Amino acid sequence: MRPRRSWRAVLAIPVFAVIAILYAFPLYWLLVTSLKSKAELYQTTLTLFPEAPTFQPYVSVLVERGLWVLLRNSVVVCGLSVLVALVLGLLITYPITRLEVSPRVRVGILNWALSLRFLPPIAVVVPYFGVVRTLGLYDQPQALVLIYSLLNLPFTIWMLKGFLSEIPREIEEAAFTDGAGRWTAFRLVLLPLAWPGLFAAAVIVFTFTWSEFLFALILTSTPNAQTFPVGVQGLVTQFEVIWNDMAAAGTIALALPLVLMVLARRYVVAGLTFGVVREK
Amino acid sequence: MANVTARPAPLSRAGAGRFTRQERLAYTMLAPVLGTILVIVTYPFLLAVLQSLQDSAGREFVGPSNYVNALANPLLYEALGATGTYAALVMPTEILLGLGLALLVHRTVRSSSVRALLFVLATIPLVLPPIAVGVIARLIYAPGYGVLNYLLIGAGIVRDEINWLGQPATAMPAVASVDVWQWTPFVYLVLFSGLLTVPREEIEAAQVDGASGWQQFWHIELNYLRPLLLLIVFFRLADVLRVFDHVFVLTGGGPGNTTQLLSLYLYRIEFKYFDSGQAAALAVLVLVGVSIAYSLVTRALPVERR
Repeated sequence: MRPRRSWRAVLAIPVFAVIAILYAFPLYWLLVTSLKSKAELYQTTLTLFPEAPTFQPYVSVLVERGLWVLLRNSVVVCGLSVLVALVLGLLITYPITRLEVSPRVRVGILNWALSLRFLPPIAVVVPYFGVVRTLGLYDQPQALVLIYSLLNLPFTIWMLKGFLSEIPREIEEAAFTDGAGRWTAFRLVLLPLAWPGLFAAAVIVFTFTWSEFLFALILTSTPNAQTFPVGVQGLVTQFEVIWNDMAAAGTIALALPLVLMVLARRYVVAGLTFGVVREK
Repeated sequence: MANVTARPAPLSRAGAGRFTRQERLAYTMLAPVLGTILVIVTYPFLLAVLQSLQDSAGREFVGPSNYVNALANPLLYEALGATGTYAALVMPTEILLGLGLALLVHRTVRSSSVRALLFVLATIPLVLPPIAVGVIARLIYAPGYGVLNYLLIGAGIVRDEINWLGQPATAMPAVASVDVWQWTPFVYLVLFSGLLTVPREEIEAAQVDGASGWQQFWHIELNYLRPLLLLIVFFRLADVLRVFDHVFVLTGGGPGNTTQLLSLYLYRIEFKYFDSGQAAALAVLVLVGVSIAYSLVTRALPVERR
């Protein structure tokens, strides 16, 4: 037994070291590049450490290039999408988890939500492009909110179904015998208990929406509705790439999901796998 | 029965009508929401079918000619080929690396706090916006500022800069490597959680019988991982069809059409060539194809549908 475990441990350490470098270095390189001055970028040799760290690229991206407007759009669009997705999600999952519905309805809804997960967005974006233009919603944040809430509904339904079905029915029934109506019981009993789950779902939907690029690219054209990823893309595909600005924009785009992830880390994988994987 | 349902609700006891009070409440909540969603989801699809049967100006019916054009376009088959190559590079790599890591951590890391830390670290790449990951990859592979060339030349491995994103032989692996970077942790997380469900007694019994680590994996652990591997294959396949963002900012489908995956191809037809008839036909074909494929595999998906 002993020798076997030790050779594995010996193998493990360099493997972990290599992986750590493969993940840490790219992130480090992004951050470092975003802190370099323009002069340092045009030196003949690359510098692995910034000689004179500066926040100038961030100012340049957010203020001079005006990307703070897109950042604001992103926050507004993501916040509203979360709200709509959660309300719709609750309207669908409350009946199928807390009320007596035929199992066929329940399974049917869950299967349908799951199937939406497999639709390639590019095939959906073409028809939606036409609809959004005819409705006069092209380059309007509302179009994005509507579509993002729908896109995230499958995840939301499955996550909320998981959280709601874990809350015992007896707790609500106790409220009923005390004379509470359904709405009161929902508001005062169920909602506080489901709160951590709702919060986790909100964080995850926010993160996914924050990352969305394809629909935003196609359905918007001006800072009126463009979201931050579209702005990042603009810095990458322009004729002459300004590396530090591009890196600063990339860092900003990364930062928010990272922070939010810390809050909802336990639920990310459960959400991504439709509840198959739960943290033990 | 009809006269029973017609009676006012408050007096009817549960089960007396066609629906109980609970069911009625459930359906009054569900019907408007699901109805609206159904309209929002199906209406554009119907429009796409219509659009696919018209010319690009949307004036005249042209019958199936958009479908004929779409299927006769050699670029479609290049795109399908590129998507296949991408999947063939990415999926086995991610699954083997993720599986290897899951086994390695499961067998060497005993401390639960280290395991928890690895869990958190592994979720990080999953939540990063693909567009930002594309930016990082650009900073690594791009000619001029790309750090990979700098490191390789510094280490004396190569002498001249390699144009990673600009030549067909390296562009696809470079683009695929980004996917591997971002999604191997997903495979790891899923499989590691699967390993935790293997009953310890079975492992111990096998070890008493002198089973090697390999036998332990092949005869015991794999049985518990199989449904999860299936899940990973389905989810990753669905994701390969959605890949767009990082390829768009890294190569834009080039050089030539080497990294023009199906999603980028469709984008190009609609928004660069403005051939909306052909794009709609392609969208319909993809939707129908995916739906058929989905209905074939859905039963095998190991999710809890209760």
